[in-house]
Amino acid sequence: MMKKLRGKAGIVAALLLLAGCGAGADAAGGGTPQTGGTIVYGHVQEPPCIFGGWIQQAYISRQVLDGLVTLAEDGSIQPWLATSWTVSPDGTKYTFTLKENVKFTDGTPVDAAAVAWNFDYWENKGGNSTAKVSIDPYFKAATAVDATHVEISLTRPFPPFLTLITQGYFGIQSPTAFQSRGEKENCEKPIGSGGFVVEEWKHGEEVILAKNPNYTSWPATAKHQGPAIVDKVRWKFIADGVSRYSSLGTGESHVVYEVPTVNWKDAKTRYQTIRYITPGKPVSFYINTKTGPFTDRAVRQAFAYGADRKSAVEAGFHGVIPYEGNPAVSQSTPGYNAEAAKAYAYDPAKAEALLEQAGWAKGGDGIRTKDGKPLTIKLVYGAAFIFTQEGATVLQVMQEQWKKVGFDVKLIPATRAELWGGKYADPSTFDATPSYWTSPSPSILWIVWRPSTVERPNGSNRSFYNNDTLGQTIDRANGEQDAAQANALYGQAQQIIQDDAAGIGLYTQNSTYAVAQNLKDVWLEKSQGEPVFSDAYFTR
Amino acid sequence: MTVKTLTAAPKPALGTVLSLLVVTWVLTAALAPSVLTDGSPTAIDLHATLLPPSWEHPFGTDDAGRDLLTRVIHGSRQSLGIGLGATALAFLIALVLGFTAALAGGVVDAAITRVLEVAFAFPALLLALLVISVRGPSLATVVVAVGIGSAPGYARMVRGQVLAVRQAGYIEAAAALGHSRFAVIRRHLFPNAVRPLVAVATLGVGQSIVWASGLSFLGLGVAPPSSEWGALLDAGRLHITTSWWLEILPGVVIVLVTLAVTTLGRTLQRRLEGAAR
Repeated sequence: MMKKLRGKAGIVAALLLLAGCGAGADAAGGGTPQTGGTIVYGHVQEPPCIFGGWIQQAYISRQVLDGLVTLAEDGSIQPWLATSWTVSPDGTKYTFTLKENVKFTDGTPVDAAAVAWNFDYWENKGGNSTAKVSIDPYFKAATAVDATHVEISLTRPFPPFLTLITQGYFGIQSPTAFQSRGEKENCEKPIGSGGFVVEEWKHGEEVILAKNPNYTSWPATAKHQGPAIVDKVRWKFIADGVSRYSSLGTGESHVVYEVPTVNWKDAKTRYQTIRYITPGKPVSFYINTKTGPFTDRAVRQAFAYGADRKSAVEAGFHGVIPYEGNPAVSQSTPGYNAEAAKAYAYDPAKAEALLEQAGWAKGGDGIRTKDGKPLTIKLVYGAAFIFTQEGATVLQVMQEQWKKVGFDVKLIPATRAELWGGKYADPSTFDATPSYWTSPSPSILWIVWRPSTVERPNGSNRSFYNNDTLGQTIDRANGEQDAAQANALYGQAQQIIQDDAAGIGLYTQNSTYAVAQNLKDVWLEKSQGEPVFSDAYFTR
Repeated sequence: MTVKTLTAAPKPALGTVLSLLVVTWVLTAALAPSVLTDGSPTAIDLHATLLPPSWEHPFGTDDAGRDLLTRVIHGSRQSLGIGLGATALAFLIALVLGFTAALAGGVVDAAITRVLEVAFAFPALLLALLVISVRGPSLATVVVAVGIGSAPGYARMVRGQVLAVRQAGYIEAAAALGHSRFAVIRRHLFPNAVRPLVAVATLGVGQSIVWASGLSFLGLGVAPPSSEWGALLDAGRLHITTSWWLEILPGVVIVLVTLAVTTLGRTLQRRLEGAAR
């Protein structure tokens, strides 16, 4: 649903699937633009550092750090700190020409040496885990050719390279500041060349971002030329959805992230709304193919057939969040295989037949058993950080449906510390676990599904699914220069994963925003929906 | 003796009668939920989601189309179980520590008292959170957590009671009559020291239910799809502006049950105090 908005906001709206702007909007919407003011933004999760390998860090570091290039709405790569670039004929050397006279907020120049240092820091010094896995093992070296030319060499051709470095993980920091300051200061106040600088971090409460008055390096996709129009952004952490959404109504905030889906309809009538379907791996199940009942492909398929995932998603998220049947990549990802997504539509009879054939017979309580062992599925999920209460409802609906075909699904909520701290790393600890991994490129398949070998273990392959054909298909796709051919190969890879039920699709990861009517030109960048505030202005 | 005092008491107040009704209802719900409802607490109906209260669904339905009243009824076993279990555990710890401290005296008393004072300095809920963070959330952990969290307060009370009762004339008399130390403790000291605490324990059950709900509300309680009351509150929170019944009605049930148990506790306390006089 899209309505026409006025002026600049209309362009943003069209670009970002911004829908809404109800009847009450007109009085406020047509106001005069103002300079200055403070945007209060209600975010959900507080990261441990401003920058890092978690998407929560990419969101906020985007405000402070600039990237080399950025992704436009049409998927093309556009200039940012780099004004132009060339790729060597063999596809292994990228030479970027940097914008001149750009300075970090500590006064040092954003030159080729600084950019090369950043690449080295991410890839070789453990500076950013996601930046590393995104271009590993293709990255070879970064060298400063002269002050304004930096060359990134790869071990093999890897066309997704440019798309991948548009993500917030690849924000360029001042090496001078980084090397001369302590760890805590770097973590809390990284020095970049971005539209804002970190003024203060009140832990547990908010990060105060102040305008960088000397900003000269806005991306080609910016909505205006020049430094930020507002003076400050107060990036508040309001974990509770009810409080967060209501803060918009009381005027305590101007923008909120992750609008509870129960309030989405209301938000559309009262505010400007933005919904962004994140590309990359959707929220889908990793299925443990190494131990337990899911070692049998038929049981995995029965699990996929056995729950009405689409209806469960619609109920839990009140029709706001789209169902995603493709476990490998979401519908907003280039190279998405829409056909593969259609597999395993709800069919309890088929699920039962598959289980019967696989030797799982129904017991008196309706739970199937084989060799005296019940068909128990340990489903571990991140409670309150990957899964909101809405997502938990989806799981409970499916649990009930799975019970009917004979699966005894145990829902095991896990905290972030438990899930990421290794409590559920071992294959014996779970049978299925849902999660997402955003990426603007289908090369995300390489991170998630690359076979794990002794020499090159892959801890991200949480299905423990080692399929050499799949690995080779993704590898070929990653190196393919012809985009159509590459997408065909990525499509094949998705088909293999789906056919083998090595993963099971659930829903798309979404970013939803509600913006007050008197705040214009808040927009989301394309790679993973990081909010941009440097073009935003209030109207009166 | 207790029975005699109860029958001899004046006509019970209306509050007590209502409280008895509520407690009877919740005990029935906990012990034999099928008497009150024939539905399943996890049965979903995606065509009947978020229905407001009606004759068919007196408490309405949730976003999975589950009947909320059925869920409240089935949740009472866990909520009540946590309340009783945690209070029992707290008293067990309290009796052991309180009696040891009071009877042993000297260094042991000083040590236990100091430890209790330190533990007492932390809010009970914080102690409970500590236990949960070490053991991970589960039904048993919540019982242990709330039990340990509330034990220090009770232990101090037990110690005080034992010290007070020990001064009583009848204890000295019993000792003078040549009864063994153990016999004096068992036949005189223990019953007299513990009797006033029975009422306190009843009050504690209500308190424990509230705490357990609080922990579940914070997502630290029992795993879904349990309909433990705190978990219901947590699930209903997002809907408070759109489907009020999901939050308000389980909340009202918690309040009523806690109120009823507390009222009965107070009545019991008064009767026992009367009996002691």
